Amino acid sequence: MLSEKALAERFGEVVLPHLGDALALARWLTGNATDAEDVVQEACVKAHAGISGYAGGNARAWLLTIVRNTAYTWMSRNRPRGMLAVGDLGDLDEMAAAHGTSPPDEDGPEASLIARADTAALEAAIAALPQPFRETLVLRDINGLSYREIAAMLDVPMGTVMSRLARARGLLVSELGRAP
Amino acid sequence: MTNHDDGLPNDPEGMRLMIHALIDGELDAAAALAVERRIAADPALAAEHARIIALQGALGRLPRPNVSDALRARIAALGATGTARPAQDEAEPQRDSPSAQPGLIAASVGGGRRRDARTGSSRTFGPFDWRALAASIMISAVLASGATQWVMVNYASDGLAAAVASGHRRSLLAASPIDIVSSDRHTVKPWLDARIGVSPPSPDLAQDGYALIGGRVEVISGRPVPALVYRHREHLITLVAEPQQGGGIAKPADLSSGGFSLVHWRDGAFSYWAISDMERPELDDFVARFRKAAV
Repeated sequence: MLSEKALAERFGEVVLPHLGDALALARWLTGNATDAEDVVQEACVKAHAGISGYAGGNARAWLLTIVRNTAYTWMSRNRPRGMLAVGDLGDLDEMAAAHGTSPPDEDGPEASLIARADTAALEAAIAALPQPFRETLVLRDINGLSYREIAAMLDVPMGTVMSRLARARGLLVSELGRAP
Repeated sequence: MTNHDDGLPNDPEGMRLMIHALIDGELDAAAALAVERRIAADPALAAEHARIIALQGALGRLPRPNVSDALRARIAALGATGTARPAQDEAEPQRDSPSAQPGLIAASVGGGRRRDARTGSSRTFGPFDWRALAASIMISAVLASGATQWVMVNYASDGLAAAVASGHRRSLLAASPIDIVSSDRHTVKPWLDARIGVSPPSPDLAQDGYALIGGRVEVISGRPVPALVYRHREHLITLVAEPQQGGGIAKPADLSSGGFSLVHWRDGAFSYWAISDMERPELDDFVARFRKAAV
């Protein structure tokens, strides 16, 4: 059993360095920065209460798992039911798989077009992604978690993480490629 | 389609996933080399590779939300101790707890854990006051408020339940979560009795793993109602006891939802609401022990 002081130190080491990541994830899950602060604060209270349960490993992944769960709890509490259009995950994954059976974007947009995409267009495209794709993309490309960590957090097989990620990126690419 | 013997998928979708995996650094050296060879040999794959790289670059340039000093200070204060205080505290008024009833703070709860009895706002708590216990109380308040809101929705037709829930939620959010901090039932009971003339059974279940840590008064439908707070490991259980007049008896009913456990029952004298972030079986265990001890 760790002393209270040791737990406080651990909180400082495990939670505080990852507030930026926590806020970024919460921002993309809730859709705005103000709600994200509420979610992160609530998540940190939970993280503090549960700090003795942190068993080593990637501290960022540990904190982000709490942030994700808190965000969904928070949204179920603070948003009208209609806004939580999570959809049928099975259908979405089938959709993701089906998408890939088409020839891999022989006529996809030029990479240089993607690279020049402006911030507002990219943010709008991310916001428009279906939620399971969006959270997978954010966890990988913004929070930098590994496939394995994402699979553990979402409790889905690695293959599902991979197909959701490919689908999310494919949607962003075609959206940004459409821009003049 | 050309067949390769490099062990990589031969279907386009599988190969596409491998390109993502290569870019994400998920492949070992041998697989990465094989994928790079395929990309070099296939312009379509190379174009896909370039698009993903470009997208990642664009994503990496997105502005990150700024962690405000205020948020950082609030969260640092959660973990702060007397030896490791966040720098922001220098600027904040030091709110030392003048604990109105220092003698009533029991040893199991004391040990330096002081709480600010009267500031009213959790955000102005100094690090001294706002430590493990207070944090876990806060989480209980947050969780319970979510749970009670859920109750409100589901009991919209039941006026009393809605009043219990809304009053409970208001009080949890607005008032101090514990008005009297004590593990001694002989302190909590008279305190509640003196304040509101009602005192529910308040057995100390410490030997069962559920320590009584305090009580508070809530106002529901214009009436003061006692609430007890128990602790089980890292979890808090809030037990609201609404006095009944000629009420019936009802067995514990599960009202849990969305990660909260909520159990409601009546024993003829009181209508109880037990709310916690514990798992249902644990809360059921608490309810069973409480009902047994309260008889």
